[in-house]
Amino acid sequence: MGKTTRREFIKKSGFTLVTVGLSGRAFMRHLAMAANSTLTQAAALSENDRTLVVIQLAGGNDGLNTVIPLSGQNASLYRQFRSTLEIPEGEILSIGTDAGGTGLGLHPSLAPIKELYDQGRMGVIQSVGYPNPNRSHFRSMDIWHTANPDRPDATGWLGDYLDAAFPSNDNPLIAVSLAGGRLPLTLRADRIAVPAIGNVETYQFQTDPRFPGDAQNRIQTFLALNQEGAPQRVLYEQIRETALEAFESSVTLQQGIQRYTPDPNITYAANNPLARAMQQAAQIIAGDLGTRILYVSIGGFDTHQGQANRHAQLLGYLADAVNTFYRDMQRLGKDDRILMMTWSEFGRKVRENGNQGTDHGASAPQFVFGTPINGGIFGEHPDLTDLSSVDDTKFTIDFRSIYATILERWLEVDATELLGGSFELIPFL
Amino acid sequence: MPLDKYDQIAHLLRRAGFGAHPDEIEQKVARGLEATVDDLINFEKYPDVEPDEDLVSMLDLPVDEFNRMRGTFIGGLERWWLNAMITTKRPLVEKMTLFWHNLFATSIAGLPDPRQMYLQNENFRGNFEPETGQIMRPNPRSPFPLGNFRLILEYLTKDPAMLFWLDNWLNRKLNSEVGTNENYARELHELFSMGVEDVVAKVPNYTERDIRQASRALTGWTILRGRRNQSTFPRQFVFDARNHDFGPYEHLGQRGGTNADFIFDNIVRHRNPGQQQSAVGRFLGYRLFIFFGYDDPEPEIINALADVFDGAHGEQPYSIRNMLRTIFTPGNVVSEAFYSERAFKAHVKSPTEYIVGAFRLLNFDRQSGEPDSLSKNRLLVRTLINAMIGMGQYLLFPPDVSGWKEGLNWINTTFDLARFNFANAIATGLQARQGGIDVDRIMDQNDLRGASASEIVDFFARLLLQAPLSPGQRQTLIDYLNAPSENATENTPRNFVNMKVRGLIHLIMTMPEFQLS
Repeated sequence: MGKTTRREFIKKSGFTLVTVGLSGRAFMRHLAMAANSTLTQAAALSENDRTLVVIQLAGGNDGLNTVIPLSGQNASLYRQFRSTLEIPEGEILSIGTDAGGTGLGLHPSLAPIKELYDQGRMGVIQSVGYPNPNRSHFRSMDIWHTANPDRPDATGWLGDYLDAAFPSNDNPLIAVSLAGGRLPLTLRADRIAVPAIGNVETYQFQTDPRFPGDAQNRIQTFLALNQEGAPQRVLYEQIRETALEAFESSVTLQQGIQRYTPDPNITYAANNPLARAMQQAAQIIAGDLGTRILYVSIGGFDTHQGQANRHAQLLGYLADAVNTFYRDMQRLGKDDRILMMTWSEFGRKVRENGNQGTDHGASAPQFVFGTPINGGIFGEHPDLTDLSSVDDTKFTIDFRSIYATILERWLEVDATELLGGSFELIPFL
Repeated sequence: MPLDKYDQIAHLLRRAGFGAHPDEIEQKVARGLEATVDDLINFEKYPDVEPDEDLVSMLDLPVDEFNRMRGTFIGGLERWWLNAMITTKRPLVEKMTLFWHNLFATSIAGLPDPRQMYLQNENFRGNFEPETGQIMRPNPRSPFPLGNFRLILEYLTKDPAMLFWLDNWLNRKLNSEVGTNENYARELHELFSMGVEDVVAKVPNYTERDIRQASRALTGWTILRGRRNQSTFPRQFVFDARNHDFGPYEHLGQRGGTNADFIFDNIVRHRNPGQQQSAVGRFLGYRLFIFFGYDDPEPEIINALADVFDGAHGEQPYSIRNMLRTIFTPGNVVSEAFYSERAFKAHVKSPTEYIVGAFRLLNFDRQSGEPDSLSKNRLLVRTLINAMIGMGQYLLFPPDVSGWKEGLNWINTTFDLARFNFANAIATGLQARQGGIDVDRIMDQNDLRGASASEIVDFFARLLLQAPLSPGQRQTLIDYLNAPSENATENTPRNFVNMKVRGLIHLIMTMPEFQLS
């Protein structure tokens, strides 16, 4: 959709408004121009059609059993600290040696993404974290969501990007959350409202099927009731605008997703919740709806007990979903404009607890995937002889370096202003 | 403009309960505000909700047999709870049961047996004894639902569902730093009692080491397993001395203790240096006020509630009932805020409030003076569960241990569409015999059969919104009632009630005003 106003959009869709007294103020919000920052000007010059897919691994993924040391003192310490949870050496999928000389391998459940690694389509970023690690799920998630370890604020790092890069956005699907109907803090913005979509099929405004002749009356009345502003009531206004956005984005979405036809050779596993979400991401991408950010999430990584089977299953979901989605993008000819990244709020304790599980830890590896990336290992495995006072690995790569690299080299905006500081870029792009 | 008596009482009953029919509001206006508050707080003078015999009988099934009926049980439990909220004579207890479920968020998804979740719900109502694993209606020893918070922490820690949900049943003596599992110890501090930071002073409440030391004191607090010759599900707390670490512990600046009592005492008494109020008092003051009042309350309000918690004026400390009385009884800084214009219609209804409120108002029988019970119709139960999932509040399945994020977090595009489509489903999809809205009874009991479009609109606005419509919105709704269907055969007088009045209910439930309480 081009740069039409919301009111024009609704007219074009055939939903003419019947009543008097429309304020239209809601439609003006997105027309407000951002402050005259260099960032905005840069963004205006760099309209690209790239999409970022964010994959959240909620609960704190055990990094040490995701990317596993295979050689040197790290390998022997790993086996010592993980007396019941160690992965047998013969099952680990070797991916070579990092710059520090430690041989590394992936958890056996990650075989489907090892394929991408072997094609140079996957980056392993080691020991990612931030200073003074917080071991609260919720605080640490907020830190990652907002890129602010000192005091997480109300908008997310990608919400800030959207506000800055699209000051006059009219696309109701410029970014989409497919995280079970929830809108993650990462995508919360001041001006741009990001839709959360629980299920693309049911994302529609329904009326009474017994009286189809009255459906237009009802839809027009619904729109009219949500037109009349009450500027002094902030809460009311946000609710009212969201109702209009819900309607508008649902109409656009339903038109767009018709363009996706599944391929019989590419199957998103029905029992894999992440794969189901990523199939919906594929539908949106196939619809050419101008979506720049897609967000999916899978939970369950908080493995305080009985970790082995559950962790293997979750990593299997991740690897299978990413592999399937990647092949689907190749099939659709879209893979060169898709970048995927993972994040998780923290890694887990190096030393397993007494219940075949692991408690909350600190730094951990993260992944990026896609045709455009330079594959390989970035950074070094954490030194297991040098742990913090509560037995955690020490981070070597700040998570905001990943964000900065993606903002600068993929979304092509100035990361310094958005992240409130400059961070070393990582050469995966 | 101060709220008038009717508005004040309507407001109180929306917040301390799930909203009231105009007939109920008029009755309470006649009783007066103070008496109405007393009716809410001293809930014991009104009867408890009836247990559902189908659910109760399933508690005794052997595990194998029960597992075949798991889905039926969960559906029945959801319906029973929603029905309790709709028909209760103790609205504040129901509201607090929901509050505890969100504060001490536990999910069936993390439990070996969903029946533990039913026991937890009865625990939150004061109807469960973890030492015996039995439901007692009521349990005179229980501190729930409004009693002593120090004891509430103990009943929470012993709750069978909680023991599994955060793994404490596995937590055994390990070493002088930590038990074998710190999961529960962490959330006890972070989510259930004081939060990462002091709500007012914004300083850290505890250290990583406090968590690890607390986990030692909680070792051996576990579940009674495998009673011989009985295939019952795990439902009874037991203290396992052999696996307990008898201390001493170093926790929140204190050294000593032989058991978790030491930890609970330290928590409720904890004050950060230089602070007048306890960390827990402020945390609970904040949580209670945003639940009943409005978001971002002023520090004076939080501190006033914390003083009540601390017993700063000589009252019994740690009393939830005293805190609630302070919020609702006129004549103090907290209740002044609660009844202020800022608070009025400034609370986003949770999905539960949205659903329960709609049923309470629309299926209210003016003859009996009460709302109908929620039907057990399977189509209705499925509609309700799908609606709760779609709106983002699947009761008994919170997304994680931090519960649901409330306020504006209830409003996003997908949750909105789920609200609007649920309104369409119960107003126009499901008929009265399927558990939908009995529109014919509303028309008859309120003399609306020959009423004009404007009279019908005014009636439903007063019933559902309990606030006047703007002239523009009123006209929009009148126009809707008058606009003929495009399909001429739909325009019979017989269809007016089914098509237009049901449509009107759907539409009012999509208005911003209806999303607010």
